[in-house]
Amino acid sequence: MRRQYFFVGTVLLVMLLNACTKRVEIQMPYEGDKIVLNTLIQPDSVIYVRVTRSIPSNMLDDSGYKDIPGSAVIITANGVTLPAPQVQVIKGLSYFVSTEKAVRGQQYTVQVQAPGLTAVTATDTLPAAPLAKNASAQRNSNRVLFTLKDDPAPGNYYRIRIYITNENGGQGTYLLFGLDPAFNNNLVDFFTKSSYNSLVMNDERFNGKDVNFVLQTVDPIPGPSQVTVEVSVLTRATYDYFRTMTAQKENGNMAVRNPVRVYTNVTNGYGIVGGINTQKLTFKVE
Amino acid sequence: MSLAGKLLTGIFILCFPLSVFAWDWQTRVTVIVKDQPIEKVCGLLEKEYGIHFSYSRELVNLSRKITLTARSQRLKKVLEEVFAPDDIRFTRVGEQIVLLPDQRTTRTISGYIKDAISGESLIGATIYSPALKQGTTTNQYGFFSLTTVKDSNSLVITYIGYEPHIQPIRQKGDQLLNVALQPVGSLKEVVISAKEQIKLQEQTQMSRVKLSATDLQAMPQLLGEVDVMRTLQSMPGVSGGMEGAGGLYVRGGSPDQNLVLMDGTPIFNFSHFFGVYSLVNANVVKTTDLYKGAFPARFGGRLSSVVDIAMKEGDMNSYHGDVSLGLIAAKFNVEGPIVKNKTSFVVSARRSYPDLILNAALRAENEMGSGGNFRAYFYDINAKVNHIFSAKDRIFLSFYKGEDQLLLKQTPIDSTNSNDPAKFNTESSKFQLGWGNTIAALRWNHIYGPRLFSNVTLSFSQYAFFTQYEQKAVIAASGELSDVYGRYKSLMENSGGRIDFDFRPDPRHSIRFGAITTLHYFKPGSSSFRDKASPVKPLDTLATAMRVTGAELSAYAEDDWQLRPDLYVNIGVHASAFMVQHRFYHSIQPRLGLRYMLARNWALKAAYTHMNQYIHLLSSNGTTLPTDIWVPSTQRVAPMFSKQVTLGVAKTSLNGKYECSLEGYFKSMHNMIESKENNTINQFQPRWDENVTIGKGWSYGAEVMLQKRKGTTTGWLGYTLSWSTRRFPGVNNDEIYPYKYDHRHDIELVLMQRLGKHWDFSASWHYNSGTPITLPVSSYSGIGGASPWDPGSGNTSIDRYNNWNNYRGADVHRLDIGFTHTKQKKHWSRSWNFSIFNVYNRRNPFFYTIDEDAAEKKRYLTQVTILPILPSITYAIKF
Repeated sequence: MRRQYFFVGTVLLVMLLNACTKRVEIQMPYEGDKIVLNTLIQPDSVIYVRVTRSIPSNMLDDSGYKDIPGSAVIITANGVTLPAPQVQVIKGLSYFVSTEKAVRGQQYTVQVQAPGLTAVTATDTLPAAPLAKNASAQRNSNRVLFTLKDDPAPGNYYRIRIYITNENGGQGTYLLFGLDPAFNNNLVDFFTKSSYNSLVMNDERFNGKDVNFVLQTVDPIPGPSQVTVEVSVLTRATYDYFRTMTAQKENGNMAVRNPVRVYTNVTNGYGIVGGINTQKLTFKVE
Repeated sequence: MSLAGKLLTGIFILCFPLSVFAWDWQTRVTVIVKDQPIEKVCGLLEKEYGIHFSYSRELVNLSRKITLTARSQRLKKVLEEVFAPDDIRFTRVGEQIVLLPDQRTTRTISGYIKDAISGESLIGATIYSPALKQGTTTNQYGFFSLTTVKDSNSLVITYIGYEPHIQPIRQKGDQLLNVALQPVGSLKEVVISAKEQIKLQEQTQMSRVKLSATDLQAMPQLLGEVDVMRTLQSMPGVSGGMEGAGGLYVRGGSPDQNLVLMDGTPIFNFSHFFGVYSLVNANVVKTTDLYKGAFPARFGGRLSSVVDIAMKEGDMNSYHGDVSLGLIAAKFNVEGPIVKNKTSFVVSARRSYPDLILNAALRAENEMGSGGNFRAYFYDINAKVNHIFSAKDRIFLSFYKGEDQLLLKQTPIDSTNSNDPAKFNTESSKFQLGWGNTIAALRWNHIYGPRLFSNVTLSFSQYAFFTQYEQKAVIAASGELSDVYGRYKSLMENSGGRIDFDFRPDPRHSIRFGAITTLHYFKPGSSSFRDKASPVKPLDTLATAMRVTGAELSAYAEDDWQLRPDLYVNIGVHASAFMVQHRFYHSIQPRLGLRYMLARNWALKAAYTHMNQYIHLLSSNGTTLPTDIWVPSTQRVAPMFSKQVTLGVAKTSLNGKYECSLEGYFKSMHNMIESKENNTINQFQPRWDENVTIGKGWSYGAEVMLQKRKGTTTGWLGYTLSWSTRRFPGVNNDEIYPYKYDHRHDIELVLMQRLGKHWDFSASWHYNSGTPITLPVSSYSGIGGASPWDPGSGNTSIDRYNNWNNYRGADVHRLDIGFTHTKQKKHWSRSWNFSIFNVYNRRNPFFYTIDEDAAEKKRYLTQVTILPILPSITYAIKF
């Protein structure tokens, strides 16, 4: 019998699994160096602006991209220039940090100039806070529940993330989770049991309703621990940015698929200046 | 008479006007005219030779212009040449010639041509009258009709692979014939050869590829299977898409723009095994016609091509069959008479079998748990019955069912978490996936008279896709259960009827007309998902997905018409209307073909056609999959239409050995759909049309085909130079971009060689230039949150894409070969086929990925190849 299996295995291996790969060194096209401007502005928080430079796509930069020496950032709120932001190094990366907190109702514009590169600019507003409550989870369960009250006005955009704060107070990484299949209603996600650490959605299916969310984490919630459900309301620009960024990641690295362009509202450059309003629901699991 | 006397007589004659001499039928006359009416010829004869003509202009029309060069020819011969084509009779009354219309009535010879041994009707056989230099060919039911105004003693009936047959015919009156042709070389099994003998320069139809069963069977095999679609891919103008897949991309069109007909019934999804194999068992295919352009008016409903597959009808005289075993599938085919020369049947079935072996192996090793099961197979069944009621009536009943099935059922096997009570442990899971077609058709051939033939078809075609998943899992530590279940179904149906008439009023006209009615039923998405253990009620599900019924009505007429001895025209129109959800669409689609005979038997051909398509295929991310669904046009997405113009020359050598054709084409396609940039088409939403953008496509190019059709060595060389582009608003900055299967050059070389009595060799070499892919033009940093103090590294990388399809992958080329050894026994024959796919193990790209080299801080392209050198062996028995 063993010999038969060997035979069958060999045949199948030759027939179906004999995919082989070959590394192809090519000169990928390059659009040239551009300023990359990234900031998500949260009401009642200072503004963190990160300015970097784009690179050819056959180069790999997994350390957060290089800063642009000599760059200057100007932030204006409703046309009024704010005091010059200060450079701070946080977790090894440089940020331009505003001296004042952002205020909802203002329109923020960020301009960046850097030697040898075309200046860039981008504008956005800040959204209202989400109305989320009743977050809970049980120890060793993989379900995290919370309730969200959606604004009756159409066109609200959300992002949901979960993270666990461990016992010594350090913050962990975002958990992988999926939606309850009954809610998710997506064939592909259901069959592939897709999980993600960030769920970006609009209110098309629950406009103006109180919705009970069940998030199914891939690993059960350990106890005792402190869980944070992060619910954010996004502006349209931020939503488009997150949605397309997620779509590009989901598209994977196969070059035969239709490409996904990540949304940018930065004129003459890349990146995003977007409004976000995050509510954190933190609870303890005993 | 002395010499002086002869001279004197001569001078005497020359000195007198010729007119004073009486004439007779043997009088030699000289007439030279160019493009002048017959009337002018009569005038010349009267003036020069004193021959008076008497006729009534109401009865005799002498206005036809002719070109005539007659030097010192007998009068009677000249008059015959001038008057015969117009059926004008001439008689001498006194000193004048009286012209009268010919009183003889036309006569029509009609009937069927069939194989003498099997009784199978022969499509495209030539019926020719050498005396009259007139001929015709049989239609797709083996019927012909030849109407002539002249008498003929015999007809010559020919067909490649068969002995020519001389059929004597009665001197007078119409005649209905049933002619049986004897196959040549009957030592080999009876092969239904569909190679038509009609020469390329004698047919107005262009852009057509005719594939016979013998061509098909002779091609090298992939894993022991010959395949209709794969063989069609080796024709110029046809591209196969991804390496190894059986998709058809005809002249830059997409697969949803192909109308695939099996015995006249449309098929929705023509593949098994995710496109690797065609739906139909090649052993029961009689002929396959692929129309790439110049579409006859009788076809409609798709933009880019028509694949018309005729299945075998079944031997009327004796029982035959074959059984074969390849690496992937086993199949059999049986045919024979139910009532000799009256009723016959054909039944065939095929099933892939590697899953049976794999399932046994997995079970023996207890890989799937105690109740585990594994199935992954495709099967198809064909059955056909045909009955001859009378010389004028014949009926066909055919049925097809084919499915692909995948089942994986497992009980505890999740070894990764099995020892961790704090994590989910799977108690059982079951995954099922299946799709398939069901087709049924009833056809009735009826001969109303010698000049009018009809076919009535009632057909039903259904495509269904089904998948379900269930999983029970438990976390032992907390006792938490997960019991999820989901299913999804989609269904598409066509039912309808059509009536086609074939009318041959006279040798210069071959008229077809008919009407088609089709009822489309779409039920694209019906699904439900639930978690029995979840405390939350579902918001909604798609169980109430849309169900749409649409009605399509068409009528057509076409005439293959000889305008002049050297000019032919195929003029037609296809009118159609589509009613769906209280909307009404309609179109008038002109079809025009021209053929002008050039010197040295070359034909110059041209065609202009419009095609309309009322249904759209929704594919995820541009990849053709069994989950793809058809939907009707909506308020936002109007029906697609295309316009194609084709120009070419063609010739078959005098001995019929060689064929050569050169064609250039330009096609524009309108109202095509593409998913909006950064959106996938959500096939499961009723408002799918909001996620698509509507645009245009253009394709143009040239195709050359050189073919050797006779002898022990046959084959062809095809070359295609083509461009195919698209433009969709909101995609690629609204600019034109190359279509994803835009191959600039495509070369096909196919060789079939008979080696002695027992061996056949075939080889096929394919080349196409690289397929476009889209590569990023830059990379830059992304951002995940407002504050850098939040969890997460923040080192997200984003690729910037600009133009679509901005890079070309590697060229694709491959050589496949096959040897077949056939041995004839007393009552049966057996054959071994040895095939090698990709002989020199060319690593052709299947797709590319962009990968990272962390050590070198580089990203690079990885080419993935899936089909290396693949030998296969097939054993077959025929009786």
